[in-house]
Amino acid sequence: MRTGDEELVAAAQEGNQQAFEELVERHKQKAYHIAFDFCRDREDAKDLSQEAFLKAFVNLKKFDGRSSFYTWFYRILVNLCLDYKRRLKRSPTDSFDETLENQMERSHEPNRPRSPDQQVLAGQISRKVDAALQALPAKQRTAFLLKNHQGLSIKEIAELMQTAEGTVKVHLHRAVTALRHSLAEFV
Amino acid sequence: MAGHGQLLSPCKNLEEDLVLFHYGELPAPEHFSLEQHLSGCANCTAYLKDLSALMPLTIKADDPPETFWLDYNRELRHKIAATRDKSWWSAKFGAFFQPRLLTAFGAIAVIAVALTLTLGKGVWQSRDLPREDEALMEVLPMAEDLDFFKTMDVLDNLDVLEFMASPEGAA
Repeated sequence: MRTGDEELVAAAQEGNQQAFEELVERHKQKAYHIAFDFCRDREDAKDLSQEAFLKAFVNLKKFDGRSSFYTWFYRILVNLCLDYKRRLKRSPTDSFDETLENQMERSHEPNRPRSPDQQVLAGQISRKVDAALQALPAKQRTAFLLKNHQGLSIKEIAELMQTAEGTVKVHLHRAVTALRHSLAEFV
Repeated sequence: MAGHGQLLSPCKNLEEDLVLFHYGELPAPEHFSLEQHLSGCANCTAYLKDLSALMPLTIKADDPPETFWLDYNRELRHKIAATRDKSWWSAKFGAFFQPRLLTAFGAIAVIAVALTLTLGKGVWQSRDLPREDEALMEVLPMAEDLDFFKTMDVLDNLDVLEFMASPEGAA
C-alpha cells in the first residue's frame, strides 16, 4: 500500500531524508509544470520548483498539518512563482519574450514535425498567447493557470490562493474574458 | 480556426456560469438549467465554442527528457545537503546571534560599564597615580585655599576699613 503524504511528512519531520525524497519524487513533475506555466523557461522552472522543495524542507518542522501537504507545498510554490513575476517586472532587461522565443521552440509539442507555415502560425499564436497571459493581473493569471493548465478544482485553487471560492470564480471569469478578446483573431 | 476575429456576446448574466460550465465546475442544478438555455441561445453556444477552441491554445506543453530529471534530483540533493550544513552551523553558533540574546548581552555590557565607572572610580585613581603625585594633588588645593584665606583676612578687617572711610577715621 502506498504511504500517504502525511506519513511521509511525519517521517521527514523526524529527520528521515528518504521520506522527504519520496515527497519530492511524488510532486516534482507537477511542481515543475506549475512553475513552467508561470515563467515559461525550463531552467527557471527547475530553479523555482527546487526552491519550493528547499523551502518546504527547511520549514517542514513548522508544518502543523492543518492543511494537506499538497496545499501547503503548492502554496509555497505559487508564492515563489508570483515573486518571480514581480522580480521579472523590476528587471526589464531580462526580456520575457526573448526567453520565450528560445524556449518555446523546443518545448512546444517536441515530437510533431511541422510545415514552415504551421511553424509560423504556431509562433504567432505563441507570442500572442504569451502577451495576453502576461497582460493579466497576477491573481487572474494564477487562477487561470491553475485551472486551465493544471486542472485544479476551484476549491483547491481557493486554498492555494488563500481566498474564497467565489473570488476565484470571478478571477477565472475575468481572465477567460480577457484572453478570449485578446485571442479573437484565432477564432 | 476561422480567423475572422468576430466575437458574439453571450448573455451577460450567464457569462460566469458559462466559464464554470466550460471547466465542469458548475453545480448540478445550474448545469441543467444552463444546458436548457444553450439549446435555444446561439450566442452562448458560440461563446462556449470559442472557449473550447481558444483556451487549449494557451497551454504550452513542456516535457523535459529523462536526463533533465536526473540532473534535477542530483541538484536538489546538493542544495538540500548545503542547506542542512548551513542549518547545522546556524544551530551551533546562531544561538549567540539571536536578537533576544544580543539585547541581553548588550544590557549586561552597559550595566557592567556603568558599575565600573561608578564604583571603580576611586580605586582606579589611587592605583594609577604615584605616591608623590598624590601628595601634590593634596597640596595644590591647599595652596589655592591659602589665597582664599588671604582674601578672607582682608574681609576680617572690614571694621578697620569702614573706620578709615568714616569722617572720624579721616580726621
